[in-house]
Parts: sequence; C-alpha cells; structure tokens
Amino acid sequence: MSYQEKQNIVNILSGLLITVIYAIIVYQRQIQGRFDLTEDFSKWGILFLIFIGVSVVARIIIQIIFHIINAIATREEKTPIEDERDKLVKLKGTRNSYYAFTSGFVLSVMGLALGMPVHWVFILFVVFGLIAEIIDNGSQIYYYRKGV
Amino acid sequence: MVLKYIITGKESEMASSTIQNNIRKLRFEADEMTQQQLADRVRVSRQTIVAIEKGNYSPSLELAFRLAHIFNTPLDQVFIYEPEDEV
Repeated sequence: MSYQEKQNIVNILSGLLITVIYAIIVYQRQIQGRFDLTEDFSKWGILFLIFIGVSVVARIIIQIIFHIINAIATREEKTPIEDERDKLVKLKGTRNSYYAFTSGFVLSVMGLALGMPVHWVFILFVVFGLIAEIIDNGSQIYYYRKGV
Repeated sequence: MVLKYIITGKESEMASSTIQNNIRKLRFEADEMTQQQLADRVRVSRQTIVAIEKGNYSPSLELAFRLAHIFNTPLDQVFIYEPEDEV
C-alpha cells in the first residue's frame, strides 16, 4: 500500500472519529439542557466554528502520529514527493466530494421546502460534510489503485 | 452510470486504452535501470512510474518529454498512440 493510500485511510478514520466524538459531546449537552439546538440557531454557528478549530488541531496531531508510525514501520524518513499524478488524483477526489456535498445541500434545501425542521438542515450539513470527505479520500484510494 | 462517470471519468478510460508505452523495455536497455532510479531522474514517485508502465496513467506532455530525454529516444518510441477504433 502506498503512502498516499495509507494517508487517505487515516484521513477517513480521523474524520469519522472526530465528527462522531464531537457529535456525541454536543448531543449529550443538548440532552442535559445546556442549550436548545432546535431553537437557538446562533448556537449552531458557534458549534460549527468550534468544530472547525477542534478538527484542524486534531487532524494535525493525527497526521504527526501517522508520519511517526509510518516512518518507524517502513523505515523511510522522507515523505514521498507530490507529483503531477498525485495532484490529478487530489483534484478528482475534490471534484467528487464537491458533488456529494452539493447533493446534500440541495437535499437539505428540498427538505426545508417540504417542511423539515430547520435544525435538521444543520445536522444534514454535518452528515453530508462527512460523507463528502469519505468520498474525497475514498475516490482518491480508488484512483490510486485503478488508475487516473 | 452517473456514479461510474463521477468515479472513473471518461478521460481515464481513454488514457488507459489508447496510449501504450515501452518504458519497461527502455529501462531494461538502459543498464536495467530500476523504477526508483527512473522516478528520481524525472522527479516523480516510483508509484507514478509503475502506473505509467501499467497504462493506468497517461503522463503530462512535459513528463513524457522528460522520460524520452532520459532514454535519449524520440517521444514516439517511448509512447505509442493507438486511436480507439484500432485498439
């Protein structure tokens, strides 16, 4: 398995882990009555901003740990250079994730038009954001294995 | 169908089916140059050389010329274009 494939798997797992843990923490606080996300929409904004910050920091830490473990396991100190094929694979992955997130956005808006509660739009944003990330990294693994 | 297009893309099918290459043979003729040595000389990863040799990736024009330059061979002897109706 190439370095890029391993990195994509780590990205998928870390994305899932961070989102699920954060969602559980937020859900528990909602149950405890610390805030009401069905009514207080400004709280969603704060939660999203905190999530971005937490996610960035957690991913940096996970990437550092991955580099260390990978260097020990493969005995390769150098990180492979990113060449034109890697850039093309990344671009196609980003394109696929864009399709996924846009589909989620349209579905959310359609749900809103059909009378879905507003707070579900935010929940769907998180869900489709996660799906888009999985599709991004998953399709990169696919392109690395099957060809661009 | 749509999902297949999103994942594979038409261009990738063309890339793998219409352009063949002689890189493996040329490496052998160049004192059995390894894939890693070739990759280092053209500044790409070894995986990219593997993908090109397998026909899973069609390199950019610049990389194709760099490869031809390394082997001191005309480009059309490194890569062979076969139109789809002839494949």
